[in-house]
Amino acid sequence: MSERSFYVRWGRYLVLIALAIPLYIWSWRTADINLIDLVQGAPKARPIISDLVRPSLLARERVTLSVSTVVRVPCDGPAPEPPAAEGPTVSLSATCLNARDPLVVSGSGFRPNTPGRLYWRVAGLEGRLRDEPFETDAQGRFTVQTDIPPLLAQQGGVHALDVELKWEAGTLRPSETLRTTVDKMIETVFLALMATTFGGLVAVPLSFLGARNIMPATLWGNTLYVAVRSFFNTARSIEPLILATIFAIWVGFGPFAGVLALSVHTIASLGKLYSEAAENIDPGPIEAIRSTGANEWQVIWYGVVPQIVPPYVSFTVYHWDINVRMSTIIGFVGGGGIGLELQRWINQLQWNSAATAVWAIVLVVSAMDYASAIVRERLV
Amino acid sequence: MLEIKELTKVYDDGTVALKNVSFTVPDGEFLVIIGLSGSGKSTLLRCINRLIEPTSGQIIWDGVDITAAGQEDLRRIRRQIGMIFQQFNLVKRHTVLTNVLTGRLGYTSTWRSLLGLWSRDDRERALRNLELVGIADKAHNRADELSGGQQQRVGIARALMQAPRLLLADEPVASLDPATSHSVMKYIEWMNRERGLTVLCSLHFLSLARRYGTRIIALRAGELVFDGRPEEIDDRRFKEIYGEDAIEVEIR
Amino acid sequence: MERAEHVPQPAPANRRLLAPLLSFVFPGMGHIYAGRRERGMWIAITTATLLGLLWWLELWSLLPALVPFWLWNAWETRTIVFGRRPSTVKLVMSAAIIVYAIGWRVTEIDVQQLAVGASKIRPFVVSLLQPYYVDREVTYAASSAPVQVPCGDVPPPTAGATGGTVVVPTPPCASVGESITVRGQGFPPNVEGELWWENPIGDRARLRSGGQFITFLTDAQGTFEVRVTVPDMVPRQFQETAQLHKVEARYISEVGPWRLTETSALVAQRMGETIAQALMATTWGALFAVPLSFFAARNPMQFHPLALLVYYLARTALNILRAIEPLIMAIVFVVWVGLGPFAGVLALTMHSIAALGKLYSEAIESIDPGPIEAITATGANRVQVVWYAVLPQVLPPFVAFTVYRWDINVRMSTIIGFVGGGGIGFLLQQWIRLTDFRSASAAIWAIALVVTVLDFFSRKVRERFV
Ligand SMILES: Nc1ncnc2c1ncn2[C@@H]1O[C@H](COP(=O)(O)OP(=O)(O)OP(=O)(O)O)[C@@H](O)[C@H]1O
Ligand SMILES: [Mg+2]
Repeated sequence: MSERSFYVRWGRYLVLIALAIPLYIWSWRTADINLIDLVQGAPKARPIISDLVRPSLLARERVTLSVSTVVRVPCDGPAPEPPAAEGPTVSLSATCLNARDPLVVSGSGFRPNTPGRLYWRVAGLEGRLRDEPFETDAQGRFTVQTDIPPLLAQQGGVHALDVELKWEAGTLRPSETLRTTVDKMIETVFLALMATTFGGLVAVPLSFLGARNIMPATLWGNTLYVAVRSFFNTARSIEPLILATIFAIWVGFGPFAGVLALSVHTIASLGKLYSEAAENIDPGPIEAIRSTGANEWQVIWYGVVPQIVPPYVSFTVYHWDINVRMSTIIGFVGGGGIGLELQRWINQLQWNSAATAVWAIVLVVSAMDYASAIVRERLV
Repeated sequence: MLEIKELTKVYDDGTVALKNVSFTVPDGEFLVIIGLSGSGKSTLLRCINRLIEPTSGQIIWDGVDITAAGQEDLRRIRRQIGMIFQQFNLVKRHTVLTNVLTGRLGYTSTWRSLLGLWSRDDRERALRNLELVGIADKAHNRADELSGGQQQRVGIARALMQAPRLLLADEPVASLDPATSHSVMKYIEWMNRERGLTVLCSLHFLSLARRYGTRIIALRAGELVFDGRPEEIDDRRFKEIYGEDAIEVEIR
Repeated sequence: MERAEHVPQPAPANRRLLAPLLSFVFPGMGHIYAGRRERGMWIAITTATLLGLLWWLELWSLLPALVPFWLWNAWETRTIVFGRRPSTVKLVMSAAIIVYAIGWRVTEIDVQQLAVGASKIRPFVVSLLQPYYVDREVTYAASSAPVQVPCGDVPPPTAGATGGTVVVPTPPCASVGESITVRGQGFPPNVEGELWWENPIGDRARLRSGGQFITFLTDAQGTFEVRVTVPDMVPRQFQETAQLHKVEARYISEVGPWRLTETSALVAQRMGETIAQALMATTWGALFAVPLSFFAARNPMQFHPLALLVYYLARTALNILRAIEPLIMAIVFVVWVGLGPFAGVLALTMHSIAALGKLYSEAIESIDPGPIEAITATGANRVQVVWYAVLPQVLPPFVAFTVYRWDINVRMSTIIGFVGGGGIGFLLQQWIRLTDFRSASAAIWAIALVVTVLDFFSRKVRERFV
């Protein structure tokens, strides 16, 4: 190729590119490209970015201290006696009150400089009613003003008031998020491993049917070859995520659905890679083995197998790598792995937790990428 | 004695590679086949052990019609015919030893060979044959770690494993340098002289053919155009075989 | 793979016993003792990892699956001390037993469920063969009769004739779950029809028997007779009092011409969106990746340590970005720019930058210095060298990779809609959720077609360029 012809050729492509302009205009419109949104939405993305560098990894154990006292609302009986307790004490401005009456709660002997909150346990109802927050001073005292919620008056009787302080103490340990992430990443990697194995096991025999040089050139051979190759191409074009949606209906939500979806996709893409590898083997050794008087099994075992094992293994490892990537998102549709948790964290705007998952994904995927590259290099 | 009668090969695409080729090879002869590239040398050799199915004609070896043999018989015939290839055709990822052992496949049961359970006798024989061709120290190397000449010697050892009575060699030295070519040809000559094998060997260089062959046949576009002793090939004959413009090059 | 290690020598007798013993105590120790350091380390690390997994997942019940590996590793040291080469394949296979045992448990594989759930997926498989691209408009003619459920004190009214066709239930009253016979008269001969049930508040359902819809076929006189079971279409507390339901027989009286469905229009529109998205993302990705790739290629960045630092940073950034699936990025961009195809474009763009950046930079790294030398030797200046020696070398792979990326982006944008990023994915997911499988099938076949065609073209283009 002379230098001149190179640019002449490229000139022609320039014309093609010019023709592509209308296509681009259409695409721009259809894809709803809106750079203004991108700029205006930036503030919304700020917390995401800043939390992304602060994944939740370690946490101290949370300690809760709760002190209870009682109040009668509405005030239609004798004021109840506060329960006697040791340690921190809580005193109320009154213990027999009506709806919306002001109430001053003060306490002493608590842990200094610690945030806390008041909760009502309404008589006859389950659960607690959240009330005012407060923070203790350096001496462990606090005073907080609130008023009686009307719900207490509606229910009537003696209600409990909890004074609750929460703080972190003890040693640093892996946060709940980190533990979930590790659990789910293990699941993710194994999900990919199982899918690759199942897919590979099915793809090996299928790949022989999809190899021109192995299939006999008869009508049956050709039909089978075309059928297998078309299956590979069609099944490969359907993303595993779509398959997972379908398998989730079949076997229910969970990693098994993900394994099945990835397996089907793996059968198709590995099958295609395998059969191309089988088509590229060197006929020489096969001829040589055949000329020694070997039978067909011996020809396959000594002439074909040694030639296809390295590419097959290398493709399989490569596909495990791809499957790990895919299984990080297969959970979005209920297929197991880290995806489900990640989506949940993002939807609940728990960006620290989401960041933990994302970094775990980056770590594992990069490691797999690296490892699979090394294994493949060593194999050839 | 090997008799080739009216052998014709037409490939699926219509190429006529061999046209009514007939000749006879007495036992113990070193027959060299020469001819231009594409003249049908490989086709002829491959027809003899039926790696290629002849279109018509007969190949009779010691009274047995190879062309009529069934699958089982054909395998029994093949194991008595050694073959050496231009591209060596070793299984690259197997060790040298395994490659040599594959020469015994025709004598080994399927399940033993699939499990790699070679008999002690076969192993010893393989090592001896490797010693014979001078690469015993490479027995446990992978085949693709060897040089071209060494690989061809593995090919020879593999053929020796078959204890063949006939050796087909398809341009055994075409991928090798002149010095190595001679060393490989000498092994083939040794097999012919000492072991009494009948050898059919195709060669590119006339000088090699003259040096090693006891008889030469020449093919031109699938037809037999010469059959005689090496010294009979003079300038006129040479031009007949290789065309008007050819000049003979020497290889020493 | 072990070829590189030292030529094995038979070990002294005391090692022959001690090595297997050590490897039995903890895998790999005997190997290290017998001189196969690297192998021993790997075995020890593998064992520690496997034990760590069992501990973390609390799967101690799988401990027996570790036994083959443990024993084989000890046995293997004998091979080593006798100076033979140990088989890596066998070792890996013995480790595979425990690995797959864990995998089986972790991924909750339940083969039985495949059979159990098969009935749920049958309708989908059937629909896959009937993508909802075209249908025909049909008009029904119907005739109905009242049925009293359950039988009450007031006798049920008898059916009145509607338009010549008559439906007669016998008996005219029954309880839920009982069978009645429905006869029809005055229908056209030899037509197929279906039976519907209407409860007093007007809810309608097609009658089934044993999971199949009931159909009837009229005879030559236009009559038919079917037995049906009174369906449970009334809340339990109202089932005591007699109420009037209706049974209706209907048949197709008129069939319109074939026409494209609304689904086809939607699929076509969303496939267009998918392709446009992929095109935009590929273009943006390529535009950003080209300059980036020069920073991420080693050979142009080797002139200064600082430049080398930039190279490492660029490489790392690309690798991190590449590891995050576009679907994950799409969720973030949906928060940023709102639902719609634009979020998908942004996500795919980010991923394309990373993937293309890596491929481009590798193309730059593998450029042949020969032509550059040759052109420089002619006395050409830097621009001329780039124009005549560098560009002709990098443009073909760049184009090939870009086309390939477009292909991948189309695949990916078929699913980016699952998280609200536009394209066909959103509709497809909806249809599957609503069990509108024929529409889902229409979408799936459209994806298969478009992706296969693009795959074919991208392959052709790549073949021409590389
Ligand atoms: N499998 C095949 N299908 C069709 N034609 C073939 C096939 N193999 C060989 N031929 C043709 O048959 C003719 C003879 O080929 P053959 O390989 O026997 O020649 P050759 O003498 O061995 O040549 P060379 O010296 O190059 O090895 C050639 O024209 C070749 O193109
Ligand atoms: Mg030849």
